[in-house]
Amino acid sequence: MGDAAARNFQFLAYGLIAVWAILAAYVLTLVSRERKIQREIESLKRILEDRGGR
Amino acid sequence: MLFLRQAWTVAQKDLRSEFRTKEALNASLSFALVILLLFSFAFDPTAEMTREISGGLLWLVFAFAGALLLNRSFARELENDCLDVLVVSPVPAAALFLGKALANYILLLGIEAVCLPVFGVFYNADWTRQPAWLAIVILLATWGITIIGTMFSALTVNLRLRELMLPMLVYPMLIPCLMAAMQLTTALMAGQAPSGDQLAWVRMLVGFDIIFTALSVALVETVLIG
Amino acid sequence: MREKILYALGALAALLLARNIWVMLTGLPDEAFQGAIFRIIFFHVPAAFTCFLCFFVALVASISYLKSGKMQWDSLAVSATEAGLAFGAANLVSGMIWARIIWGIWWTWDWRLTSMLVCWLLYAGYLVLRRAVEEPAQRARLSAVLSILSFAVVPFVFFSIKWFRTQHPQPVLYGEGKMDAAYRAMLYLNWVPLLMLAAVLIAIRIGQENRRRELDALRREAHSI
Repeated sequence: MGDAAARNFQFLAYGLIAVWAILAAYVLTLVSRERKIQREIESLKRILEDRGGR
Repeated sequence: MLFLRQAWTVAQKDLRSEFRTKEALNASLSFALVILLLFSFAFDPTAEMTREISGGLLWLVFAFAGALLLNRSFARELENDCLDVLVVSPVPAAALFLGKALANYILLLGIEAVCLPVFGVFYNADWTRQPAWLAIVILLATWGITIIGTMFSALTVNLRLRELMLPMLVYPMLIPCLMAAMQLTTALMAGQAPSGDQLAWVRMLVGFDIIFTALSVALVETVLIG
Repeated sequence: MREKILYALGALAALLLARNIWVMLTGLPDEAFQGAIFRIIFFHVPAAFTCFLCFFVALVASISYLKSGKMQWDSLAVSATEAGLAFGAANLVSGMIWARIIWGIWWTWDWRLTSMLVCWLLYAGYLVLRRAVEEPAQRARLSAVLSILSFAVVPFVFFSIKWFRTQHPQPVLYGEGKMDAAYRAMLYLNWVPLLMLAAVLIAIRIGQENRRRELDALRREAHSI
C-alpha cells in the first residue's frame, strides 16, 4: 500500500469515526438530559407529596 | 381598501413618532457611517479591488444599519403597553405589520439615500452609471430586508435576550436577498446593465420579496395574537 | 412496548450498518480517482438526505401545530429539528474530512458546503429561539413560525449560492456524473439504517419532550402551593 493510499484509508477511518462520534455525542446529550429531567420530576413529586400529606 | 388605509395609518403613526425623536434614525445612520469608516481599514480603499467588492460592502452597510433600525420596530411599542393596545385595536394584525413594514421601508430607504453618496465619495465608486437599475435593485432588496427584519422584530418582541437573538436569526434568512443585491450592485457600479444570468438575480429578488411578504402577512397574526 | 420497538429498530439499524460497512470495505472496489476515501460518500450523502427529510418533517409538524394547537406536533417539530441538526453536522464534518484528501483543504466556500452551513445555522437559530421563550404555548407558536420561514428560505439559499459559485462534485445520483449502479445501491442501502436511526432518535426525543412538559406542570403545581 502506497503512502497516499495509506493516508487515504486513514482519513476514511477519521471520517467514519467523526460521523459516529457526532451521532453518539447527540445520543449522550439526550441521555444526560433525560436523567436530569427524571431527577427533577422525582424531587418535585416528593416535594408535592410531602406538602399534600401535611 | 380599508385594509390598505389601516396599514397606511399605522405607517404614518410610526413615521411621525420616529421623526419626533429621530432616535432610531440617528443611531442607525451614524452606525452606517461608522461601518463605512471601519471598512476602509480592512483593505486599501483606493485600490482597483474596491470596484470589485463595492456591492458587497454597500449591502453589508445597509444590512447592519437596517437591522439596527428594524429591531426597534416592535420593541418600541412595549413601553406603556402600546403593543397590547395596537393588537386589540380594530386594525388586523396583518395591516399593523404591513404598516410597520412600510414605515421601516421608508426610513431605511432614507438612510440608504444618505449612505450611497457618502459611499461613492469615500470609496471612489461611481454609482450613477445605471441609475434606473440601481434604483430597482435597491427598492427590491430593501423591501426584502425590511419584511424579514420587521417579521423577526414581531417574532422576538416579547423575548428576553431580544437584542442577542435577532442578528443570529435575521442574517442567515437574509443571505439570498443580500447576495442577489451584492451581485447586481457590483455589476451596476461597473456600468453593466443586467442581462442573461444577472436577470436571474433580479427574478430571485422579486420571488424572495413576494414569498416572504405573503408568508409574513399570513403568519403575523399567530405571532402577535396566537 | 413502545420502548421495545425502539430498541429493536435501533438494533436492526446497527446490524444493517455493520453489514454495510463490511460490504463497503471488502466487497466494493476503490473508486478509480479517489481511492479508499470515496466510501465516505455512503455516509455523507445519506446524512444530508436524512437531515433535509428531518427538516421537512419539522415543517409539516409546525404547520400541523399551528392548525391544531396540539402540543404533540410541537414535540415532533423540535425532535425532528434536533435530529436533523445532528445529521447535518455529521454531513458537514464527513465532507470536510473528504475534502482534506481530495481538494487538500478542510473547507471551501463552494455552494453546497456554504448552503448546508447556512441551513444548519438557520435551524440552530430555531433551537436558540426555543431556549429564549419560557411559556410553552408561546414557544411552540413562535418556533413553528420560524420553522416555516426557515424552510421557505432554504431553496433560495441553495439557488443563490449555486449561481454564485461551484466546486463540489456534481450530484452523483442523476445527471452526467452518475455513479456506478453498485455504488448507488450501496448509497441507498446505507440510507435505510440512517433513517431508522433518525426515527429512533426522534421518538426518544419526543418522549423526553413529553416528560419535560410533565415537569413543567409539576413545577407550576409546586409553585401554586
